[in-house]
Amino acid sequence: MNSNYEIVVGLEVHAELSTETKIFCGCKNKFGSEVNTNVCPVCMGLPGTLPVLNEQVVEYAIKMGHALNCKINGTTKHDRKNYFYPDLPKAYQISQFDIPLCENGYLDVLVGDNVKRIGVTRIHIEEDAGKLIHDDKMGGTLADYNRCGVPLIEIVSEPDIRSADEAKAYLDTIHTTLLYLGISDAKMQEGSVRCDVNVSVRPAGSQEFGTRVEMKNVNSFSAAHRAITYEAARQIKVLEAGGEILQETRRWDDVKGVNVLLRSKEDAQDYRYFPDPDLLTFTVPQEKIDELKASIPELPVAKTMRYMADYKLSRADSELLALNKNTAGFFEAVIATGKCEPKSVSNWILGDIYKVLNERRCEITDLALTAENLAEMISLIEKKTISNAAGKTVLEVILDADKDPNEIIKEKGLAQVSDTGALNAIVEKVLANNEKAVADFKNGKTNVVGFLVGQCMKESRGKGNPAMLKDMVVAAIESM
Amino acid sequence: MDKLYSLTATQMKDLLDKKEVTSVEITKSVIDRIEKTDKDIQAYITYNFEQALEQAKAADEKRAKGEAVADLAGIPVAVKDNMCTKDLRTTAGSKMLGNFVPPYNATVVEKLLADGAVIIGKTTMDEFAMGSSGENSAFQVARNPWDTSRVPGGSSSGSAATVAASQVPLALGSDTGGSIRQPASLCGIVGMKPTYGAVSRYGLIAYGSSLDQIGPMARTVDDTAMLFKAICGRDKMDATSKDYTYTPYGAGVKGMKLGLPKEYFGEGISAEVKEKIYAAVEVLKAQGAEIVEVSLPSTDYALSAYYIIACAEASSNLGRYDGVKYGYTGSKRGSLEEMYLSSRSEGFGEEVQRRILLGAYVLSSGFYDAYYKKAKMLQKAIRKEFEDALKQCDAIITPLSPTTAFRIGEKSDDPVAMWAGDICTVTLNIAGLPGINVPCGFDSNNMPIGFQVLGPKFSETTLLTIAKCYENTVGGFAVKEF
Amino acid sequence: MEIDIKRLAKLGKLSIPEDKIEEFRKKMEDIIQMVENLPDLDTEGSLVDPENTMELRKDEVQPSSPRDEMLKNAPYTAAGCILIPKVVD
Repeated sequence: MNSNYEIVVGLEVHAELSTETKIFCGCKNKFGSEVNTNVCPVCMGLPGTLPVLNEQVVEYAIKMGHALNCKINGTTKHDRKNYFYPDLPKAYQISQFDIPLCENGYLDVLVGDNVKRIGVTRIHIEEDAGKLIHDDKMGGTLADYNRCGVPLIEIVSEPDIRSADEAKAYLDTIHTTLLYLGISDAKMQEGSVRCDVNVSVRPAGSQEFGTRVEMKNVNSFSAAHRAITYEAARQIKVLEAGGEILQETRRWDDVKGVNVLLRSKEDAQDYRYFPDPDLLTFTVPQEKIDELKASIPELPVAKTMRYMADYKLSRADSELLALNKNTAGFFEAVIATGKCEPKSVSNWILGDIYKVLNERRCEITDLALTAENLAEMISLIEKKTISNAAGKTVLEVILDADKDPNEIIKEKGLAQVSDTGALNAIVEKVLANNEKAVADFKNGKTNVVGFLVGQCMKESRGKGNPAMLKDMVVAAIESM
Repeated sequence: MDKLYSLTATQMKDLLDKKEVTSVEITKSVIDRIEKTDKDIQAYITYNFEQALEQAKAADEKRAKGEAVADLAGIPVAVKDNMCTKDLRTTAGSKMLGNFVPPYNATVVEKLLADGAVIIGKTTMDEFAMGSSGENSAFQVARNPWDTSRVPGGSSSGSAATVAASQVPLALGSDTGGSIRQPASLCGIVGMKPTYGAVSRYGLIAYGSSLDQIGPMARTVDDTAMLFKAICGRDKMDATSKDYTYTPYGAGVKGMKLGLPKEYFGEGISAEVKEKIYAAVEVLKAQGAEIVEVSLPSTDYALSAYYIIACAEASSNLGRYDGVKYGYTGSKRGSLEEMYLSSRSEGFGEEVQRRILLGAYVLSSGFYDAYYKKAKMLQKAIRKEFEDALKQCDAIITPLSPTTAFRIGEKSDDPVAMWAGDICTVTLNIAGLPGINVPCGFDSNNMPIGFQVLGPKFSETTLLTIAKCYENTVGGFAVKEF
Repeated sequence: MEIDIKRLAKLGKLSIPEDKIEEFRKKMEDIIQMVENLPDLDTEGSLVDPENTMELRKDEVQPSSPRDEMLKNAPYTAAGCILIPKVVD
């Protein structure tokens, strides 16, 4: 990137809310149904029909507002955004114009090792449009209205983002926040989270914004990163060549990695917003707003920071643990037993347990594993009652059965042998059988001790305490 | 029994309750009457005779079994063609919806059916309820039964004409700027626009959503009340509807204060109309009402505010008619844009197109504040003015239409003159208040004149009481022998 | 005051024939003149009306409508969908 320029990015994220029903009618809010089966006269926009607002949509949106530190407008309304398109059955979208439900917030995101605060201009609620299926065989386009009226929140950021990496971090954080709050499935591949990207560039050090270009059809967060990188480079090239950036809308083509002009400023639509006369003003009582605020859990970025500070975990591990609400909750439950070191818990969760979750494509809460059992197992390792290897054997059992690790150890005879007499006999036997290694050690090749301990472990059928064995092997050779 | 069709709904109910007639007999009489007279009145776009006889039969069976029935059970009702009727064509008077068969019933229609009413047909109207004469219908122009060369008023033209011509006792109309009251006045019947929110709008094909309201039309006050009682009340499908408890009305105005606003008796109102209304006021005064003068100075602006708000909402409400999902689809389908343009230009009549353009204009970027927002602010001021005036009295009396019914074609090329006729009625829609037309005599051409009684929100009982007092005192309203 | 009928027609997706534009403009201008006599009013502030509010709906599923019923008025259908001229976006 040309360091003479600074990139300025603003993002508009649309997220579908995971309510039971649509925003203005009782049809199911469900992805993947057969075409035109989750429809009724209201969401099909039949003459004479009227919208009735779903209260859950309002509550979910307020939760997001609280999570993004917004001011909540408890008295607000809906407005119509008028334009013609065949996926919009009423020829207007019911949205919010001058009084969004939430406004003036911010989101802290982690970029590298730094926390970056990105302003959130507003969050408003609106209805989704239908889907158009392009079908050459039919000689036209097919319209499926199942998605019409699915509730959306639109989250608009301030132009505070200064790089593609920051944009990616912001989007990832929005994504995990939606999941944490349980208000959206946030599945990119199903289109339940989408974003529009506004990009401009300006000479480094300049206070004024450059002309911004809006990009549509950015269908994933990694695509957002590519699209921003491409568009910033395009604008810089134009400027370097003495050209001028035009205010326009461009369409991102992620396959080709380029964008093309969709419409210029002159073609900008006049949406003729006005208050929807079918929906009156609505008010959310302050007690309700406060109650929703109290229900907001600690969010991923805060958790990451806390794990780093309190548990001395690495940034990467902290973020990984905090990423998933269930995983983070489980991690914290294990720590709360006070039985074991956070670092060990983190290693077990992000190591062996993560592997299982990936294999089974499930959540940690889907396992029979309890925080109590995992804590006990780890503490037994820390107390050297069992070896790490024995721990893995115990884990295999407790993943799928709520069973006391101590019992498993007994049943399987996994307890480490720490009896000096028994271990001495093993050490003597191993040293006697490995004269060459002993000689190497004496000649300074001290790393053969690992080999010798391994032999001792083998002799003890895995039950020897490896730390004790190591000390004893060294002591025995030195006293020879 | 002879001439069953000419009975009032109240009389029909009595005979049905006494088992002296059946609903099938009444319905057959009504159908016969419509078949004989409707070529002259043209009150219906679609007849529902077959279904109506079925509904009549069902009501008779219920009565025969001795089951409790609602007041309307077995009584024929006409429904304006902008209220959706499941499996019965609903056109809103437009070519655009010439073949539209709704898959659902409007809430008012559901209520009528639940009460066992007999839905006789769908009445002629100005296209999308935009008009004050009935001449803007895409199908036919309904006639005024008092003189079939004259308009019945609009937009609920057919509903007014069919009741005035004694084809049916009851009809539903809708009123956005006077569309129930004005045709009622021009046809010499009773018509009431309820308080905004008193009757569900679900299933009413929208014109100006914040002003539209469904209401009853009938030849007597009792019949009007009977139909209103059946349709009022909150509906979960309409977020703008309100809880409403119907309460019985009286017939005495003794001690009531009635306001006369001077702004409504100015130059624009014909001398004959004024004279009859002052005479009607005297009748009420003689019955013990106290007459006070009130002032509603913003009335001059109400017409502007009305047309701005109604057309803005209409331009948005009518966007859905695009040739895609239902209704008329244009002759050109080469591209999406072509389909939109040909569907809408061929499907909508000129007055509708004019109002769409005006609506787009007042909402467009750069004009919103000067027109739409200002009109909404003015609406607040007008509401406040009415509230204040109605603190000084129980109800207000005004003229309803500046003139009586004019001849078909007389004003049809001058939209401004046509729009100006709504001056006395639109303020109520702007203020969201209820109002009723009460017939009060005839002009020199023997065309009906009516006065308007309006009151505070949810004061329908008061309005019906005043209307009933007048009706009783003058010995009932004249019915056109036809 | 010059009313741009073509621009308004574009917003309303209406095609007004060239020979009718003048007539439309004339009538529209008369109408605008009529509605223009609004008093000077403060248009600051928002159009919310906290004194007239609505109830919200519980998030409870109601049965959807049969697809055949919902598509029966459509001029063209195919594969359970409404068929429209090819859309290029």
